[in-house]
Amino acid sequence: MSLFALLLLPFAGSLLTAVLPTRARTALAACAGLVAAVAAARVVSLYPQIRDGGVIRETVSWVPSLGLDLTLRVDGFAWMFALLVTVIGALVCLYARYYMSPDDPVARFYAFFLAFMGAMLGVVFSGNLVQLVVFWELTSVVSFLLIGYWHHHVDARRGARMALTVTGAGGLALLGGVLVLGHIVGSYDLDVVLGSGALIRSHALYPVALVLVVVGALTKSAQFPFHFWLPRAMAAPTPVSAYLHSATMVKAGVFLLARLWPVLSGTEWWFWLLCGAGASTLLLGAFIAMFQNDLKRVLAFSTISHLGLITLLFGLNSPLAAVAGVFHIMNHATFKASLFMAAGIVDHETGTRDIRRLNGLMRSMPRTGTLALVASGAMAGVPLLNGFLSKEMFFAEAVFLTAHPTVEVGLPLLATLAGVFAVVYSLRFGYEIFFGEPSTDLPRHPEEPPGWMLKPVELLVVACLVVGVAPSISIGPLLAAAARPVVGGDLPEYHLAVWHGFGAPLVMSLLAIVGGVVGYLWLRSHQRSGRLNETPFFERFNGRRLFESGLVTATRLARRALRLVSSRRLQAQMFTIIGVAILLALLAARGVPLVWGDRERLPASHEFVLLWVIGMVCAVGAAVMAKFHRLVATTLMGGAGLVTALTFLWFSAPDLALTQLVVEVVTTILFLLGLRWLPMRLHDPSRRTTMRDRVRRGRDLLLAVGAGAGLAALSYALLTRPAPQSISPFFLDRALPEGGGTNVVNVMLVDFRAFDTIGEITVLGAVALTVYALLRRFRPPAESIGRPQQQRVLPSDVVTDLVKPRATGERAGGYMMVPATIARLLLPFSFVVAAHFLLRGHNEPGGGFVAGLVVAIAYLTQYVFSGTRWAEGRAHLLPPRWIAVGLLLAATTGLGAVAVGYPFLTSHTAHFTLPLVGEVHLPSAMFFDLGVFAVVVGATLLILTALAHQSIRAHRPPAPNKRTEAS
Amino acid sequence: MNGTDLVALGPLLALGAAAVVTLLSIAVRRHQRATATIAGLGLVAAACALPAAADVAPRQVTALVRIDDFALLYIGLFLAAAFATIVLAHDDLRRRAEPHREEFHVLVLLSTLGACVLATSTHFASFFLGLETSSVALYALIAYPRSGPAHAEAGLKYLLLAGASSAFLLFGMALVYADLGALSFDGFAAALLAGRGTPALVWPALALVVAGASFKLAVAPFHMWVPDVYQGAPAPVTGFLATVSKGAVLAALLRLFVALGGVERPVVVWTFGALAVTSMLAGNLLALSQRSLKRLLACSSVAHLGYVLVAFLAAAPVALEAVTWYLVAYFVTTLAAFGVVTVLAGGDREADALDDYRGLFWRRPWLAALLTGCLLSLAGIPLTAGFLAKFYALAAGTSEARWALVVALVVNSALSAFYYLRVVVAMAAPAPAAAPARRVPLGAGVLLAVLALLLVGLGVYPAALTALIRATATALS
Repeated sequence: MSLFALLLLPFAGSLLTAVLPTRARTALAACAGLVAAVAAARVVSLYPQIRDGGVIRETVSWVPSLGLDLTLRVDGFAWMFALLVTVIGALVCLYARYYMSPDDPVARFYAFFLAFMGAMLGVVFSGNLVQLVVFWELTSVVSFLLIGYWHHHVDARRGARMALTVTGAGGLALLGGVLVLGHIVGSYDLDVVLGSGALIRSHALYPVALVLVVVGALTKSAQFPFHFWLPRAMAAPTPVSAYLHSATMVKAGVFLLARLWPVLSGTEWWFWLLCGAGASTLLLGAFIAMFQNDLKRVLAFSTISHLGLITLLFGLNSPLAAVAGVFHIMNHATFKASLFMAAGIVDHETGTRDIRRLNGLMRSMPRTGTLALVASGAMAGVPLLNGFLSKEMFFAEAVFLTAHPTVEVGLPLLATLAGVFAVVYSLRFGYEIFFGEPSTDLPRHPEEPPGWMLKPVELLVVACLVVGVAPSISIGPLLAAAARPVVGGDLPEYHLAVWHGFGAPLVMSLLAIVGGVVGYLWLRSHQRSGRLNETPFFERFNGRRLFESGLVTATRLARRALRLVSSRRLQAQMFTIIGVAILLALLAARGVPLVWGDRERLPASHEFVLLWVIGMVCAVGAAVMAKFHRLVATTLMGGAGLVTALTFLWFSAPDLALTQLVVEVVTTILFLLGLRWLPMRLHDPSRRTTMRDRVRRGRDLLLAVGAGAGLAALSYALLTRPAPQSISPFFLDRALPEGGGTNVVNVMLVDFRAFDTIGEITVLGAVALTVYALLRRFRPPAESIGRPQQQRVLPSDVVTDLVKPRATGERAGGYMMVPATIARLLLPFSFVVAAHFLLRGHNEPGGGFVAGLVVAIAYLTQYVFSGTRWAEGRAHLLPPRWIAVGLLLAATTGLGAVAVGYPFLTSHTAHFTLPLVGEVHLPSAMFFDLGVFAVVVGATLLILTALAHQSIRAHRPPAPNKRTEAS
Repeated sequence: MNGTDLVALGPLLALGAAAVVTLLSIAVRRHQRATATIAGLGLVAAACALPAAADVAPRQVTALVRIDDFALLYIGLFLAAAFATIVLAHDDLRRRAEPHREEFHVLVLLSTLGACVLATSTHFASFFLGLETSSVALYALIAYPRSGPAHAEAGLKYLLLAGASSAFLLFGMALVYADLGALSFDGFAAALLAGRGTPALVWPALALVVAGASFKLAVAPFHMWVPDVYQGAPAPVTGFLATVSKGAVLAALLRLFVALGGVERPVVVWTFGALAVTSMLAGNLLALSQRSLKRLLACSSVAHLGYVLVAFLAAAPVALEAVTWYLVAYFVTTLAAFGVVTVLAGGDREADALDDYRGLFWRRPWLAALLTGCLLSLAGIPLTAGFLAKFYALAAGTSEARWALVVALVVNSALSAFYYLRVVVAMAAPAPAAAPARRVPLGAGVLLAVLALLLVGLGVYPAALTALIRATATALS
């Protein structure tokens, strides 16, 4: 079985258990246990290959471009971890079979459990730092699922979320650190990184990488100041705690520290960061553990404390300490897993985990009690148990360390103190609940658990004993194999023995035990009299509160930010967009002064300036009035348009001016016709303008003026420079020789850019049809149908046509008689004018577009003055046919050129002499222009018709119901 | 223009023709399923034209458009996203029981066409054309359902704000042209790098162009429209808006910057860096307190654009690869997320409030699992596409040693994990009284399954995609 197969095995098992029946406890446990056991056996069989410092590598290419390969790499240290992960995993599988209740969905538990085992193996086996981060995050995610397994408990959900937030965030920090390391080394491969220790330590970015990696490790291993998530994670089922929070997940942090020990250690940064965190966690965790009343919380804080010890050992920058750290990882995993299981058994059998209620259980469950006692002895560091050995090594290191004097004195003191605390909480766990008067008020009557449930605990406790009694035979070779890669190949001198002679470490151990017993008795007497039931002093400022208040602060900040950077009001959104755009432009222009160009200026005249002032006033007025009075706004827009037309005229562009003029007229009239059908503005008289409104408007005004001035300045600066290259000379030069006309604009429309024009008139036709289609089903609201306000206020007895127009039948015969007559007289004139424009268009201002609009205006006036019925009763306009004919004509003209062998839309100008008329200038483009003319007439009239027909329709029912409209 | 040019333009032409055919088919008979099928076939036809176009690529067709592998990859991506949108919209439109549901598909096709033009554009004119074609169709798509005022409000807001931003963009382009006399990206870059422009005109002009493009990308501080529009638009349209519309603008910007020879100038780095950091911060902080999933995803999209900009700022080949990877991952994730939102809608309202998702794991385990996958991918958790995307962004940032941006990215990712998980936790909470669930229609179900496979597949086995992207990136730079 290759390493990859070994890695995939738990995941495959996870999938398998996921699909098994969810209540089949035994089958599931057997399946999961078998997977774990097979994996463990395979790991054991790897031992010969790694025993003497060998490394097994397997690689599969993943994202080679980023230097990401799937590399599995097993050395002694990884092997030792893999052994812990698989063996304890197998034991917990067995244990969980009896622990989980028949009502729990066990399939999910085992699926997650095996997935976690796989993720953990992935972390351990990773031969690539990025891959390590991937599995690292995966363990966080799966642990989230496992902690939240009893999802109906709010504690479980919150605890799971907190654990994931902290460890997930730490994982991101680690990712950052790994990236920096990869940047320094140029590779993410673990072997390469491990070989570049000196390079990394001397690099300027070393502190950055170090801090990020250490933050990742500390969050995972629940080290101060990130320790708070672990006690909350105790909401998980006990098998989960026994596995994740003793042997595996929390060990991942220290695993990482050990893994990178040869690369990162040996500096002041490393020493202070890790020793600081480790020492404070060691002491703090042990201190808080003494005051806990929940069995699992005692163990949780003790775990925190022990991990602090391991961190501290790695932080000491001494190979011997590192070996001790590795040793303690193994020992702690063994005794802590058994303790968690014991706690679970007690909980399972008695129904409570409260130390204050549990007493004298030895009588009813002697086997459990004995095992728990031995295991807590190991935790306390009692001689002849494994915990004693590694603790002894730590004491030795603490005493013989050469460093700053305060450290030299402080560390042994701290170590002894932590030892005292450890004895106290071990006694509370192991002694208090099993001895004394048996409790009588337990939720369940306690008895021994099933034999198989105790087997895992027995095995682990036996391991503790064997290691403790005969360390050099039992664990010696394993420790050597595991510790060698950590310290970089050369093991320091050490002796694994129970008796080291009478020295300072032994004195410290004895002091700790004696002090612990005394302290326990003292604490018990206080607690019996109702004092010291809560952790003094430290309860106040723990990380959990910081975390929660951090979240609250973040939420509050977010609320404030929400108000500041987001608004649902369009006005504010628009303000920001314009403001920031202008700001960006200003920033970009910083330091580069805007100077005017040196193009020759035209002399300004008073009349022209005045004209423009009028135009601008009209434009601003239109913008302001758009909100308050649509009619006025439309009129003012017309004024601005007129000024534009005049400007064109001023600069000798009569053709443009003419076009602009007629376009203005048509659009204004259509606007006015359309306004008729818009609902009235809703005006709320109770809403008064407040100071706030005024400030906001003033602010908006400032921004508008600023933005406008800025854009105007840019435009002006541009206009004062000679244009780099202009296309106008091209057209001016070629209009007559190649297009055959002197009106350049028209020649461009019908000849040079005829293809565009065909497109445009098609669009125009389509737009007209769309307007028609959209308005076809439109029914004006009732309030738009009635008489205008001004006419309604008249007394009803005034009967003249002028003041009571609706009384007369037909508008054209009534008060509109005079203008209607004039308009009718205008009709033939406008035809003549249009024909004139059309015919001379090729050489003089005019053309099909203008001509079409002139005709359209003539018809519009008929509609306006005489009414729809009258106008349509006398003329059959058929706008769609105009459009169709126009398009056909334009297309045919173009195709005509193709027929005689020229490209599409080539124009030919014929000159011939007719009697009476004289020389005639007849370009083929004339027919094209005729097509344009027809389309423009048709399109305008069609839009007109669509609007005008509203007046002869039944209006909407007075109480409109939204539902009926939608259906 | 000759035959080869037409082959190169094949995908665009097919897409345009598909829009016309769809429109005509509606004129013949209104039938939603038939129209959706025609539109879908049109997209497939356009996709089928891709290999032929790839054979003649790279090819500059007129000054406006360049068909190369880069463009074709993005076109393929947009076509796929549009296809997904149409499949999801089929379900959404049926549920809404609106009259006139068929034109929706024409609009999707047109908007996609605009996006494809953007991906191919090498000229400010085609840039603007593509942008507007894509946007104008979107205005209508956002406001498509006529029940209730929220849709209309969203559409109107988008219209007005996009109009304002387009005005800035256009003014900037006009200034660039007037000062440098070039509108093609290459000509513009050559003139600019030769120092021919007037700094006082060109730089503000470019700032305005950036502002206009930033609006489309919804980068903070141009992001305010996002939550409103995302929430107001129907869920499939939101997905489309979040993916195709933004991706297209990014593609065009990439081209522009490649033409400019990267983003070496400090002022450019500072501008985009600042935009990136504000986007990340603003998006994530806003997302923290959202009570609506669509608004939450909207805010998170602001943050994600910030991450993309970090990748964008790296040197050209890395940036191309990283941005494209990020976009693909983001497309898959976002479409899947909005797909779930779409199929969860029931009765006459969408599943939008977070409360609608309470206990989803126990009511709709598959959909909940997929949504969880999407959220984890957005959070950048390994084994999802999002992780590698984020990793690419980080690697791009570190390769240029932009530590401030890298730190901002990491911190913001941590921040974002919190609100994504809040949704996951809500889904895992005990279920309230179960509302009668709608069946997931076959088409949408298949689509979601494919997206789910991609979501995990890209995270586990990214090599194929990486190779593809790498090939296109070398084609462009």
